[in-house]
Amino acid sequence: MTAAIDDKIQSHATAKGFTLTSACWMVVGTFMGLLGATELMAPDLTENIGWLVFGRIRPVHINIVLFGFVTPGLLGAAFYYVPRLLRTEIYSEKLGVVTVIAWNVALVAVVISLCMGYTQGREYAELIWPIDIMVVIAFALVFINLVMTVKNRQEPVLYVSVWYVLAGVILTATTYSLGNVIWRPNSGALVGIPDAILLWFYGHNVFGLLLTPLAAGVTYYVIPRVCRAPLYSHTLSLVGFWALLVVYTHIGTHHLLQVPVPTWLKVIAIVDSIAMVIPVMAFLINIWFTARGKLGEIHADIGGKFVFTGTIMYFFVSIQGSMMALPDVQRVTHFNNWVVGHAHIGVLGFAGMITLGGIYYVLPYITRKPLYSRFLADLQYWLVLIGMVGFTVVLTIAGLIQGNAWLNGEVVYRILPEIHPYYVTRAALGLMVFVSALIGLFNILATLFFNTREAAS
Amino acid sequence: MKMTFKAVVFGSLMILAAVVFAVVILPYFHTNKITPSEIFRLRSDEEATGRDIYIANGCVYCHSQSIRVIDWGLGAERIAQAGDYVQDHPILLGSQRTGPDLSQEGGEHPDDWQTAHFINPRYTRPLSIMPAFAFLGTENIERLTNYVQSLGLKNADERMKRQKFWKEASIKAYEAGPEANVRWLHELIPEGWRNIPNPYPTSAAGLARGHKIYQDFCFGCHGPIGDGMGPAQQYLYPPPLNFTILKDRGISGGILYYQIMNGITGTAMPYFKRELESEKIWDVGNYVAVNFINQTDADEEPKGIDAAYEP
Repeated sequence: MTAAIDDKIQSHATAKGFTLTSACWMVVGTFMGLLGATELMAPDLTENIGWLVFGRIRPVHINIVLFGFVTPGLLGAAFYYVPRLLRTEIYSEKLGVVTVIAWNVALVAVVISLCMGYTQGREYAELIWPIDIMVVIAFALVFINLVMTVKNRQEPVLYVSVWYVLAGVILTATTYSLGNVIWRPNSGALVGIPDAILLWFYGHNVFGLLLTPLAAGVTYYVIPRVCRAPLYSHTLSLVGFWALLVVYTHIGTHHLLQVPVPTWLKVIAIVDSIAMVIPVMAFLINIWFTARGKLGEIHADIGGKFVFTGTIMYFFVSIQGSMMALPDVQRVTHFNNWVVGHAHIGVLGFAGMITLGGIYYVLPYITRKPLYSRFLADLQYWLVLIGMVGFTVVLTIAGLIQGNAWLNGEVVYRILPEIHPYYVTRAALGLMVFVSALIGLFNILATLFFNTREAAS
Repeated sequence: MKMTFKAVVFGSLMILAAVVFAVVILPYFHTNKITPSEIFRLRSDEEATGRDIYIANGCVYCHSQSIRVIDWGLGAERIAQAGDYVQDHPILLGSQRTGPDLSQEGGEHPDDWQTAHFINPRYTRPLSIMPAFAFLGTENIERLTNYVQSLGLKNADERMKRQKFWKEASIKAYEAGPEANVRWLHELIPEGWRNIPNPYPTSAAGLARGHKIYQDFCFGCHGPIGDGMGPAQQYLYPPPLNFTILKDRGISGGILYYQIMNGITGTAMPYFKRELESEKIWDVGNYVAVNFINQTDADEEPKGIDAAYEP
């Protein structure tokens, strides 16, 4: 994996642009999460400020974290490692920069439209049609740039990271269009039960076909590099990749096990949710065996440390996810904070950690300068880790209280005081994650713009 | 296996196409011709506008519209069926139940309760963590109320008919003056309940429990001193009862119990039998009787044998 192309002649403008995009929007996304968490413990905090009402900022939080923080961060790393793995330059930095600008315009539109109450009202598919089009175009531009880079490659072999990025981008563009019912601009929805089935097909794929492949791509690049070891198994790479595409796409209906949808579809969703163990463990065994005996090297590299932690969170979130698809488990976990905890291990613990890892790993290469502060990066690591794990613990407890109380026949209203202390703790932990985003933004800005130190040899 | 560019991109797309066929297109043809259920009716334009406001403000993130088989205790008289949703575009099943399920909310409360609740949910439900929606303005709150009152469709219509019938009766009684109003309220209570002996003593512990229940459930309407001047009062008609007018007008623990348990349909007074166990209803009734009415039938004979825990 030595580069034939000298890094020095490349501007890496696209990678820098996406990295900066991710760092900035992480601040916005986590702030919205913190604000929402605070409103749940102090509901009159933003009384009569309509555009900050909980029901509007919750989708802002989710969409911004998804499309503002995690996706651009993972793409930023990809725009560095894809050309490098292919021993070429990125096809067009100009196109890349245009993509970054369009991406940011779309994100601003996301915040404004959702705060104003323009939404399709479907979880993960809230964005209105004009923004849907912008998102699809942005993904298409990324795809074109990557495809042309692949075409211009000097390296005949496509490394596993490249598979994941190519598949992640094109499959997301496709399922995004499908899930947002893009052929119906006015509503972006189907009618009745088919709408629920399509929505959760897409809603789950936005993780399985976007965050997971892009995060896997970064992991497959960073871990062997940091460990200075060859990848453990090509076969496991193949199994993990194809099994992910086949299995993950089947499981969306596990969100609808308690809804009148066809039973055969529920059976497919449950069986494939359990089968998710195959792609997950193929990937993790491959990565962990590559890293076997090299934990010291991983710990020494801040990027590697974030990414490796992300793989551990991937293990937890996936095993938990498989369990949650079991109807008996879901009797307790559905409709309550347990699921919110689960989502945060997935998006912050797994994809978010790997996003930050990817950024910190590639930043010295794309800036040709050392990271501004390793200490601040470490501080961010611990704030995210403690915030996210604590978060999951308290939300899981709150979810169990809710789920069991409901099964016991108690009404929603009477449980509210019981979960209040957990909401307060959650907001405090959310504050840690928000502070970590501020620290990260400062560190990344400083590395990009104010760092006067010379590159390490 | 050699992973060429074509294998990756076209292979992925082919897998996706096959899966879409299996888990989206096949189920679509299985579910898109569902017969409307027996409670189904079309929504009016006004209700549809209210639904848009519901969507725009993200109500779906805290309120499900999906009553499950296991929701036996949550107040649902009906499990959701696929045929309930045939006009829902988009469907609003929800994924969180931070607030109660709303699929059968229509007619649970009269319109004025809904208005007070939208202005600030803590006016009617002191423990609620729902945001205040006063910023929507009167017109939009009215539209939203129309939509919420339609949830449950034909079932909701039946309940709304009942609310409107009793609303009219309760207004007439209220306007006839305190004497007639109290008489009307008491006559609604079945005879046996009016005379039921009060089984709980007004012990300090019992009154403390009553105080807690009163604060968590009652004071938004009836006010901290029981004069019916809680913050919700300005939106409710007939207004919440001023408890002091009950003195020497035949009030009893049994009457209070029955009213708290079943509510007074038509007025903003909801039923609490699903939220409060029997002892808590007696305790809050005794709290009101002792502190606000200044007349209680607790501690009177016949009481039978005292409960084992009584000192």
